[in-house]
Amino acid sequence: MGTIEKLFESWRKHFENGGRFERWYPFFESIESVFFAPARVTENAPNVRDHLDVKRFMMLVIVALLPHYAFGVYNVGHLAHLASGLSTDFGAVVFTGLKTVVPLVVVTYMVGFFWETLFAVVRKHEISEGLFVSCALFPLTLPPTIPLWQAALGISFGIVIGKEIFGGTGRNFLNPALTGRAFLYFAYPAQLSGDAVWTQLLAGRNAPVDAFTSATPLAIAAVTDRLGDAQSALADSGYSITTLLVGTYPGSIGGTSTLLCIVGAVFLIILGIANYRIVVGCVAGLLATGFFLNLVAPEGSLPYLAVNPIYHLLMGGAMFGFAYMATDPVSAAHMPVSKWVFGFLIGALTVLIRVFNPAYPEGVGLAILFMNLFAPLLDHIEIKIRLKKRVPNV
Amino acid sequence: MKTIRIAKGYNLQLGGRPSTEVESLPEPARLALLPEHIPFIKPRLLVAVGQTVRQGTPLIEDKRNASVRFLSPGGGRIAEINFGHRRVIQEIVIERDAQEQAVAFESIAESELETFPRKRLIEAILAGGLWPLIRQLPFRDYAQMELEPPMIIVGLGSLEPFQPLPEVYLAGKESLFEYGLTALKRLAPQVHVCAPDSGDSLPDRLSSLVSLHYSGPYPAHDPGVILYRVKKSPEENRAWYIAGQDVLLLAHLLKTGTYPTERDIVLAGPSATTRKHFRTRLGVPLADITAGRREEGDIRHIEGGVLSGFVGSDQTYLGFYESAVNLLPEGNRKGELLGLFRPGYRRPSYSRTFISKLNKNDLVYDCNIHGGDRACIACGYCAQVCPVDILPQFAYKSILAGEVEESLEHGLLDCVECGLCSYVCPSKIELAETLHRARVNYYIEQSK
Repeated sequence: MGTIEKLFESWRKHFENGGRFERWYPFFESIESVFFAPARVTENAPNVRDHLDVKRFMMLVIVALLPHYAFGVYNVGHLAHLASGLSTDFGAVVFTGLKTVVPLVVVTYMVGFFWETLFAVVRKHEISEGLFVSCALFPLTLPPTIPLWQAALGISFGIVIGKEIFGGTGRNFLNPALTGRAFLYFAYPAQLSGDAVWTQLLAGRNAPVDAFTSATPLAIAAVTDRLGDAQSALADSGYSITTLLVGTYPGSIGGTSTLLCIVGAVFLIILGIANYRIVVGCVAGLLATGFFLNLVAPEGSLPYLAVNPIYHLLMGGAMFGFAYMATDPVSAAHMPVSKWVFGFLIGALTVLIRVFNPAYPEGVGLAILFMNLFAPLLDHIEIKIRLKKRVPNV
Repeated sequence: MKTIRIAKGYNLQLGGRPSTEVESLPEPARLALLPEHIPFIKPRLLVAVGQTVRQGTPLIEDKRNASVRFLSPGGGRIAEINFGHRRVIQEIVIERDAQEQAVAFESIAESELETFPRKRLIEAILAGGLWPLIRQLPFRDYAQMELEPPMIIVGLGSLEPFQPLPEVYLAGKESLFEYGLTALKRLAPQVHVCAPDSGDSLPDRLSSLVSLHYSGPYPAHDPGVILYRVKKSPEENRAWYIAGQDVLLLAHLLKTGTYPTERDIVLAGPSATTRKHFRTRLGVPLADITAGRREEGDIRHIEGGVLSGFVGSDQTYLGFYESAVNLLPEGNRKGELLGLFRPGYRRPSYSRTFISKLNKNDLVYDCNIHGGDRACIACGYCAQVCPVDILPQFAYKSILAGEVEESLEHGLLDCVECGLCSYVCPSKIELAETLHRARVNYYIEQSK
């Protein structure tokens, strides 16, 4: 028996029946099972069970998100130094990024874990790992300037209202991280929208240096004057296709890099965790709708209508939402064909919200939440059709 | 000849495959009947401890239909009758005499058989205690003799790890098997003999008897899966089936007029040190088969296949329907340190989340659950593997909600209880067990 195993064995008695912290057993169990899988064996057929459990399933999503954190830390620091006219030395940039991102992540995890543990203790079940994914996703969707107390409030809303009151992971019908994000947007628009929130300013500055564009690509595309051309407006602000693909522009902490999102989506699809139908459906819906708007846009209309659909995919957090939020298996559609429809409509709604609702520049979050509501209906229809094909057996 | 291709299902990468070698075991000192593991019967004891029985003396009858009886697999003295929880009869143990006496039953000559009246044939099988070998879908109770089934499915071979191989138990018994098939043809308008399409190992004489080939992963061999593929109308749901080796028992009874005792049993699995077939008797003690042929330590004795079998021990006996003993490590210890984060080259999984997916070698499975109980996260793996296209993730919710009609619509009665849904579930939900209980409850409710 190794040292760590002995350590857990010595703590165990306090958490088991009759121990001092008996009620907090779920907390102990969730920590212990990260180190050692439990020794429980099957009692009925089938005698053997797969090695995959929900813990590993969720852990792999977090692994896919780690590059976003690395990128986010760099991007946040880099933009803050650019906007404040400081040196963009790699070490200093990363240090600034860490100073912003680490407290956000720590606060999010502490608050989220507190709620989950509380519900697990009251309901007497083990802590479900969905929480760790929600808490990993949530900070990546936030602007770097968000006050920590708002992050705490947002994740509380996401975990409690988005998930726990319906029974916890597996019984929620909305994506918890997005629910928290949407709550923050509507409750505190000042800290979650506008041009000022996406870049941190350091060294006591109130405004960025002159050469720095703090407007996000989505904001630029949305407010371009009539008769203007959104794409050239973006190019004028320094947002080339490459910049948009790599994601080195102001935006949410981890959602701007479309390239990393594609890598993450492919990783999750290869492992069978994200469903390719949803991701491909989302992208297809977005491109098709963007292209359709190009076709119907009359002369002299809103320039946003004429934006090349590829730009829609590259700007903002669309791909981040498609890869990690829409593919949440619990709140997505469950049936194969429904998944295509679900994905396609998310993509379509994302473009429609972006183009036709200037008050809400990023549409993907609301599009996913909206389709989360419709997923059960899509499933219901598909199941009914499938069951009709069976030879009855009663 | 027809080949049924079944795409859905899953083959475990389980090591411990048995060889085709056969060893005859010495006659066991004790034999037993295990009424507990015969589904649905309500046994009435017909013997008492100390009583002398012959090979073929009725031990129990079914209270639901007293003509269905289970006979003594050997001659001797009733040594023990062991009861379990709520006085369920677990074992009736017979201490064998050196000189066994056998009951004589009616024997039917091969020439008579083709014109033998159906009713008298059924009576002969009932008297000989082997009627329960013929079972009826979808519930797998013994067949209702008053009905004529649409077909009888005879299953040769099994894709489940691990079951006796047909080329072993049929070797040298081809004519007996043909006799058995002739008898079955008196019972139903159609008899389908089903064998794997890779079954060139069958002797020529037998392969000409095969009328349906199946191909695909486990459980493509299952009569329920085959019926699901061939049926065209609801009338065919009540098909009968019988295992290939049981046809031999039936034929032996009718041909010789004595209760058959010979059984070919396979010993396999990663924890068995000798993996091969054994020729022994019905109701043999498991210890006779496994002693000296297994690894030390906590070993699970599974009677039947790894996925659908039940847990035995070296203190128990072989069940009436079983012909396999699989030995697996119990796995009742904690996982390796931080196993959650390891790539898992040797950890088998249906999913693609372990690099064992790239490992083509046989792997060791144990009986650990490998995770904690969680709510369904709708990964959909269960529906991907279900051979009869049930959506287990929705069907089990309708069962738990008490919606019997809805669960039937979902195909609850098509379920073949292969256990794959429970096997693949990352939330460790007892899907197969939930469906199984719902089927049992529905059947009991229906037959009231």
